[in-house]
Amino acid sequence: MNPEGIIKEALERKQKALSEFDSKRLLSLYGVPVTKEELVRTPGDAVKAARALGYPVVMKACGPEITHKTEQGLVEIAIGDDEAVARAFGELTARAGGTTDILVQEMIAGRREVAFGMTRDPLYGPCVTFGLGGIFTEILGDVACRIAPFARADADAMLDEIKGAAILGAVRGMGAVDRAALCDALTGLARLALEHHEVKEIDVNPVIIAEGRPVAVDALVVLG
Amino acid sequence: MLDAMLHARSVAVIGASKGTTETGGAKLGAAALNYLVDHGFEGPIFPVNPRYEELAGRRCYANVRDIEDEVDLALIVLRAGACVEAMEDCAAKGVKVAVVFAAGFAEAGDSALQDRLLAAAKAGGVRLAGPNTNGFINAVDNLVCCTSSVSDINPFPGGDIAFIGQSGALGGSMLGCAMEEGSGFSYSVTTGNEADLGAADYLDYLIDDDRVRVFALLLEGVGDVPKFLAAASKAARMRKPIVVYKVGLSDIGAEACVSHTSALAGSDRVFDAVCRQYGLIRVDDLAELLPTATVFSWVGDKLPRGNRVGIVTASGGISGVAADECHRWGLEIPELDAGTKAKIREFVPSYGSVRNPVDLTQQVRSFASAYQDAARMLLDLDTIDGVILLATMVGEPRASIYGKEFSTVAREASKPVIVGWAGPPGLASKGFPMLQATRTPTFRSARGAVKAMRRLYDYRTFLDRLAREAAE
Repeated sequence: MNPEGIIKEALERKQKALSEFDSKRLLSLYGVPVTKEELVRTPGDAVKAARALGYPVVMKACGPEITHKTEQGLVEIAIGDDEAVARAFGELTARAGGTTDILVQEMIAGRREVAFGMTRDPLYGPCVTFGLGGIFTEILGDVACRIAPFARADADAMLDEIKGAAILGAVRGMGAVDRAALCDALTGLARLALEHHEVKEIDVNPVIIAEGRPVAVDALVVLG
Repeated sequence: MLDAMLHARSVAVIGASKGTTETGGAKLGAAALNYLVDHGFEGPIFPVNPRYEELAGRRCYANVRDIEDEVDLALIVLRAGACVEAMEDCAAKGVKVAVVFAAGFAEAGDSALQDRLLAAAKAGGVRLAGPNTNGFINAVDNLVCCTSSVSDINPFPGGDIAFIGQSGALGGSMLGCAMEEGSGFSYSVTTGNEADLGAADYLDYLIDDDRVRVFALLLEGVGDVPKFLAAASKAARMRKPIVVYKVGLSDIGAEACVSHTSALAGSDRVFDAVCRQYGLIRVDDLAELLPTATVFSWVGDKLPRGNRVGIVTASGGISGVAADECHRWGLEIPELDAGTKAKIREFVPSYGSVRNPVDLTQQVRSFASAYQDAARMLLDLDTIDGVILLATMVGEPRASIYGKEFSTVAREASKPVIVGWAGPPGLASKGFPMLQATRTPTFRSARGAVKAMRRLYDYRTFLDRLAREAAE
């Protein structure tokens, strides 16, 4: 589906946000690398999806109303076989309070995490942010930002601006991060913000660095 | 339209007056008229005040409508309550721009009064500057429409800096201090509440003026953001640096701004991003605003190609300080090649340093041109992008020798040379002023010099990036 379609459909259903699955579909159309994943509604389909993706997998309850998944126990990681998939399907469905879509996604392994974001400043308009992922973004406030539109050189400069910039280089036996991929994602977010005013906020966190390649494992697109 | 203000051919002073207040200062209506007259504005000046027949040797009119000749600009120096009527008179007369000096509008909570003032201006096709402003100065054409006592400095020293700031009082003090340090400006505009004309309008207009080379902005809010950003882009294309100090970092600062000029301060982090994106040189200390603008003005096109500096001093102590500051501000101090070291050794005693930073030691007293010679050797190296000359405790007549050496080196070099003069200027009574008179960028500390070099380098980096993007 094209970006317009994804957003229009959600607005017609009066959603305040896109589900993780739709958020990632939209973001991937703008150059943000995301996990391979499949949305399923039965344990059988979940197993099929898990086999296709290859074990281990991650499973999550998925819907436009579901935002703080980890806190609500709606994420199961490192699921290793068919039996565990079926069990996780049942548990997640129960915890989500009944019927819900279940997302089966590839499990990304990496020790480094970054985050992308987009907010709309009341004065300067869309503002794209880059920082360390996970809880560090919030706690350390170590974030670089640019207002859209910005040049690719600006995206590149953002990577060096955060205090934790050294983590993007070759450190502790890990290779350097694919900067071009990060720049593509940041400029893509700017383009998305400029082209779709219905998108109020974007939070892509964490983006795990797997063998140098960034992959967004969670994402939220807020509408409004 | 701003032509009629910043290059007005005729000026009416509504509320012109004479005499002093109880504390001995000139009444505002008198100050506005007298500064305009005393600075020698050549066009017609029309005092307006029904209480006088004549002021400052000119016919005084009861109302601006009574003036037969064309009036480009009106300075309205009345209390807030009387300004709307005066604006209506300006509209009827066909005045093009009116500057309203009085406070007591939106900044004091009376938005309704400001709205009426603006409505009266708009209805009559008059552009409004202020209210709540100290006015403006076009120092090139001696057009001084300003009530700030900074205009006691007469004549203004020439310069190519344009100052634009929302706060009139701070604007005056910044400019006054800068002038005492040898700097000069071509324009100064204090914008006040920006009910109509804002900082972005003046910026946009003055970029095209070839008598402006550098901008110094003291901002609370940027006002019209798209216009401001467009102006910033234009300034970058024309290679005219914009140095900016922005109030509103703290929540209390931001609140003070809102009540001061009714401007929305905006998030500081986002403004920081804007500065990086548009190549604005942001200073975090108001006292650095004009000195930084002055360095850009004096250095001109000689921006450093890289971040590698050569340092020459006669004090081992300040060598260490300078090295630390370079580290802090991201400048490199490259090792010198053996040939250069040997050449410097010819006039540096064995206990001095021929490494970078070069320490000439106090033996420098025995050599007529040690600073110059060492500086030139460093400037000639491809590995050096700029030179910092540091002086510590120097009295006369030695200070005069340094003053001459430093200014000569700086003038003749094709790379930037910045002086850090850590000693007391009072004891360098001839040498220190010589640096200012020759427009040699000078700071009172190693840090000041290092920081300035870093800013020149940042701006050069930004311009290079723009050039690359344009070429792609």
